[in-house]
Order: sequence, then C-alpha cells, then structure tokens
Amino acid sequence: MTDATSTRFAPSGEPVRVWDIWVRLFHWSLVASISTAAVTGFILGAQYIALHIASGLIAMALVAARIVWGFLGPTHARFRDFLRKPAEILSHLTGGDTGRHLGHNPAGGLMMLGLMAVVGLLAHTGLAGLGGAMKTGPFLSLPYAIGEAGLELHEVLALLLLVMILAHVVAAILESRRSHENLARSMVTGIKESRPGDHPSHLARAYPRLALLVIAILAGAIAVSLRQNTHAPAFAPVVELDEIFAEECTACHLAYHPSLLSAVEWREIMGGLDEHFGEDASLDSETNARITEWLISHDASTAQTRPAHQFAGAREDPTGSITETRAWADLHESLSERTFFRAPIYSKSNCSACHADAETGWFSPFQIRISKETPR
Amino acid sequence: MKYLLVLPIALLAAPAVAQSTTPAELLAQYSTKAGAEASAERGQALFMADHTGGKPDTPSCTTCHTADPKSAGQARTGKPIEPLAPSANPERFTDLKFVEKWFGRNCNSVLGRDCTAAEKADVIAWLASL
Repeated sequence: MTDATSTRFAPSGEPVRVWDIWVRLFHWSLVASISTAAVTGFILGAQYIALHIASGLIAMALVAARIVWGFLGPTHARFRDFLRKPAEILSHLTGGDTGRHLGHNPAGGLMMLGLMAVVGLLAHTGLAGLGGAMKTGPFLSLPYAIGEAGLELHEVLALLLLVMILAHVVAAILESRRSHENLARSMVTGIKESRPGDHPSHLARAYPRLALLVIAILAGAIAVSLRQNTHAPAFAPVVELDEIFAEECTACHLAYHPSLLSAVEWREIMGGLDEHFGEDASLDSETNARITEWLISHDASTAQTRPAHQFAGAREDPTGSITETRAWADLHESLSERTFFRAPIYSKSNCSACHADAETGWFSPFQIRISKETPR
Repeated sequence: MKYLLVLPIALLAAPAVAQSTTPAELLAQYSTKAGAEASAERGQALFMADHTGGKPDTPSCTTCHTADPKSAGQARTGKPIEPLAPSANPERFTDLKFVEKWFGRNCNSVLGRDCTAAEKADVIAWLASL
C-alpha cells in the first residue's frame, strides 16, 4: 500500500515495489502448475491423469484468487491498472503511446486477461470431459457427447495456451530489451525502477482481509455444490458378470466386458468361436446361446462409458480385435510396442495387466498402472 | 461286451454336467475305443511335434503347454495354463466333459482335425507316466 503511494512521488531512478508478494506468488505458482499440467497432458500418458487434474485445478484456483485480487489488491494488481480500452491498446501496439507503464502495459494487460480466460476455460472443458466422458468428478451427469466435445475443445485450448505463453515470454524479452530492464527479475523481486515519463498510476490500497474472506466464501460455495453432486452416473456398465460367461471365457483370457462391443459384434464373435482370434474356442450350442444372450443384453448400448463409445462398432474388419482399432492405437500411443510383449503383460489383449478395472468395463484413467517388467 | 457298445454313445452324448473320472479310467476308455494298446512314446511324439494342418498361430501342443507338461504353460493371451501332467496337477483328466471340450478345441487348432481315440489314449498315457 505504501509502495503504491510511493510510485507517484518517487524520484526517477528510485526502486519502486510494483508487484506485491501475492501477484508474484500467483505468477510463479501458475508457471509451476501450468507446466505440470502441460507435461502430464501433452507428454506423459494417461497414468498421470491424477497429477494432471490436480495441477489444472490448482491453476484454476490460482486464477480465481487472482481475479478477486484484481478488484481488491494494490495499485498494479488491479484490473483497472492494466485493462484498457481497445483504442488505447491499438495506440500502444502501433507506437502511438510511448510512455512507460510501471505495471502491465496495455498489450500485456490484454494478454493477462486472455491467459486467465483460457486457463479458466481449460479447467471447465477438462471437468466437462472428465464428467461426461469418464463419468467422474462434479459433472458426471453431463451427456457423453458433451464430455467428448469438452475433451476436444480442451486439447485445442491447451495448444492455444502454449502459443499464448510463448508470445508472453517473447514479449517480455523484447520489452526488457527495449526498455533496458529485466522484467522477469521484477516478477521475482517485485521491484522496478521509476523513470521520468512513466504513466501515472491510479493509486489503490489493498484489502487483503476482505480478499481472503471473498476467496474463502467462493471456496466454501464450490465445496458445498460439489458435495451435493455425488449421485452415481446413469447407464453404468453391468456390475455382476454372468457365471457361465465368466467361467468359460476366462479359461483363456480376462472377462472382456459386454459393454465393450455392440450386440452385432458379439453375435459375430460368438458365431465364429471355431476361428476365435487364431484358435478354436468352440462351445456347445446351449452354453453358446446362454453367453450370447447375456452379452447382447449388456452390450455397449447399455453403458455410457468411454470404451463403449470408442470401441463398439470401431473395428474396421469384423473379425478384427479391439487392439487393431484406430481408437485403441491412439489411446496407447505413448507406449512402446515392446511394452506389450514383455512379462508380465505378454499380449495387447491382456488389458488387466495395466488396467486394474478392465473387467468392470470402466477403464478409468485413475486405475492405470503400467506393469513393471518381471523376469519370465 | 455290452459296455463296448454303450461307451461310444456315452462319449458322443455331450453331457451337460461334469463327469468325474480318473486318468487311468480315461486311458482305458480311449484305448478300448481305439481297439489298440496306448503308447506313451507315440503320445510324446505327437505332443512335441510341429504340425501343419491346424491354425498358423498354434503349430504344436507346446505352443501353449510348453515342452514340459509338469510346469505351467501360457495361453497366447498371457494367461497361465495349469500343468498338464497329473503328477503336477491332480485336477487333470478328472472330468470327461472338460477333457473332451479341450481335446476338441486344441486338436482342431493344432492339427486341423479331431484327434482319434488312439491319439488321445497315447497322449494321456505319456502325460500320466511323467
């Protein structure tokens, strides 16, 4: 607060505290959380989903707190200090405005708003995908299609955010050179040097206690609304496996859940057991009829899971396997081919080696653990 | 003499419930049906050989059961298969329906045809001798 007052009266060349401790903590915590979310989302596989979600939610919480601070913080933390009219931004970008801004300049202010908006949208599309497509989290009652659209948008926004971050870093470097100061260091120390011709700041005092109260109320409201949204999702895949199905089919492989394929596909598979993925797996007609009946009455159309939507009807060749589909390949692209053939996995068809919940039909990203190699 | 006529019918009649039996009993039944003495050597040769009539992924019994029937094998899916030799796995050859189901499937996978009663008797004779 005293720092803010000092900006106007500080003689030129005097160090001025421009970024308060909360703005700086926000900035570098956001760098850390967005980096973690980017690495886990773009590079690491689905087994890091929990870390990805946690870092994304932290980024969202930081942005929410920063928005509150944008109304209740000190001079340069406030939106009023850096959000300008389009004409001013244009004038700044075209060189019409030569004065130095101690806080964010008009273009920088626009970038701040954009970054906060994109991080907020990323959190919301991510949660929509988690809810609609994976049936977890606060939005699990969203329809599957909305969830899938949310995930697509999430990817596009993530790429957009990367481009914006790159632009932000490049702009900070160029601006540092142009004005002969280290802007990144200012974001660490909070200090800038005041100079003649600096734009005067509209001084504002900070209300840290009020800000904390507002943030606490927001957090409480979110916690309460999440608590009220814990009902089980509709169209859950069948839980109890038919006894004969389990006994016969698990003689050679795990119990592939009926919700993974459509009724048409189950009929094809059960009608061709004498040529079952390279082996004869014939059953007597009575047993075959019973298992077929159970499979088709719990097929993909009865479940709102991601595998049910991605794998049922996805096999290009009707005799082909799920592991030959494009969707399967995309989901497993972060793994090397030899991973699937080492002990104790041995085969791409051995889903449960890494997906602890494979036999439930869910294939939750939280249930993935890539089996460590064991001696054969 | 009378049971010789009944046996093939009993074997063909795809029973709905498990039929408990023993390796010795099965060996006797298949040998009787074949009308010849079983040979453990012939059984071992059939088991170990590479065949060409069946499906390309399963040229031999040893593809999944390994060359040592006293140790566990592994299905092409990665799932373990309990040992075949009754000395290592007392459950083996104690259920006629189960034995018929798997001879039916695996002979077709490996040989591309059903096994004869003589071949089944030979393989059981070898496995039971281990």
